[in-house]
Amino acid sequence: MDYDIPMDGEDTGPTVTIREASPAAVDFILRHVDLAFANSLRRVIMSEIPTMAIDLVEVKKNTSVLADEFICHRLGLIPLNSKSVDDVLYTRDCDCDQYCENCSVTLSLYARCTSDGVMRVFARDLVPQDPRANEWVGVPVIKDDNPDGALILKLTKGQEVEMKCIAKKGIAKEHAKWAPTAAVGFEYDPWNKLKHLDYWYEESAKDEWPVSRNGEWEDQPQEGEGVALDGQPGPFYVNVETVGGLEPDVIVQQGIKVLQQKLAGVIQELAGGDNQAETNGDGFGPRSPEGPSGGYDQGGYTTPFDQRGGASAWGGGGMTPYGATPYGQNGGNW
Amino acid sequence: MNAPDRFELFILGDGEKKVTWNLDTRVPNTAIFTFNKEDHTLGHLLSSRLHKYSYVQFSAYIIPHPLLPSFDLRVTTDGSVSPKDAIVQACRDIVGELDQLSREFTKEWELKKIANTESRN
Repeated sequence: MDYDIPMDGEDTGPTVTIREASPAAVDFILRHVDLAFANSLRRVIMSEIPTMAIDLVEVKKNTSVLADEFICHRLGLIPLNSKSVDDVLYTRDCDCDQYCENCSVTLSLYARCTSDGVMRVFARDLVPQDPRANEWVGVPVIKDDNPDGALILKLTKGQEVEMKCIAKKGIAKEHAKWAPTAAVGFEYDPWNKLKHLDYWYEESAKDEWPVSRNGEWEDQPQEGEGVALDGQPGPFYVNVETVGGLEPDVIVQQGIKVLQQKLAGVIQELAGGDNQAETNGDGFGPRSPEGPSGGYDQGGYTTPFDQRGGASAWGGGGMTPYGATPYGQNGGNW
Repeated sequence: MNAPDRFELFILGDGEKKVTWNLDTRVPNTAIFTFNKEDHTLGHLLSSRLHKYSYVQFSAYIIPHPLLPSFDLRVTTDGSVSPKDAIVQACRDIVGELDQLSREFTKEWELKKIANTESRN
């Protein structure tokens, strides 16, 4: 099959330059990809990477000044460690009735203020219960020096809270509490050479719209230089900052994997065989609407990111963990 | 209340298929693919990738309604490759590209880690 992806010299696929890396964030430049590709990666990182978050709270006792649902909401937003979250099942895929240790982590919260003054209840007071899918999953993220974690609520003398929190696996498309990042920095063409932006200004766009520091990485346009009408966007300046549950490089790698699984699903569906009338000459006759054609109808609630059979992507031995394509691995278990 | 469950944005319903497609009877070598429970992430990615192949004459996608989690992708080819095969080829190429990106990122990350520890010493 011949196809002509424009290739000029070394332009043979995506390249990455990491500018800054820390436990909290990674800042990199993505080159030789198109805008759609870079944006899809960004979108997937923002909304489709599985993480853990408290989803169900059983309030046993709450004599604090805050309403039950107020506290429950706060509990949901506490970042939980999501390392190797692949070991946890989605509750909807699990065989259990409501939840179990294969698809959830139980954290208990108990605090009672007995002294004068204000007692502060932190994320560190959430105690993960065993058994769990692995040693990391569901543990509250504590990154401060004290170390306390996020403040949940305050109590005064005689007040008490007792809660049982069930953390589940989910993605940010369902609720933002499952987001692995709070925001993804994304910029291209800092000098606005392509005129994708039309700056609003009072006197001078140049004075009123300072160029970001990414501008140092590109040549400043000449005075009076025209717009390259065939100019393609790129390179892309990306900054991924974690909320705490996953390391920044893992977030990027997971994003890539989720996107690959999405595409693998499409390949499976289209190339997998008899899903519909084939595209030959007389496929134009009247046709009944798509009925369930048996085939690989998996009966409803299988998540697209199902990993059964495939090895967990991280922590599996010394070889490059992301080498294999996801659609070759698990014997058509889609 | 009558709000739909939020997981309906990304979990296929009972008997629902990821992709269904119909030929366009008015234009040769044209098909409209409906992707269920997908959005711009996949729509724009596929549609703009298809533009890069010489045998694809037209590709564009539309999200028929912002509240419905599906999009329609219309593809016209020159006849040497069917629209379906064009999409499959596009998907394979993107998966390969993502693989490369992943390796590239791992490599750069390891290098950066070494550089960071050296500068600390």
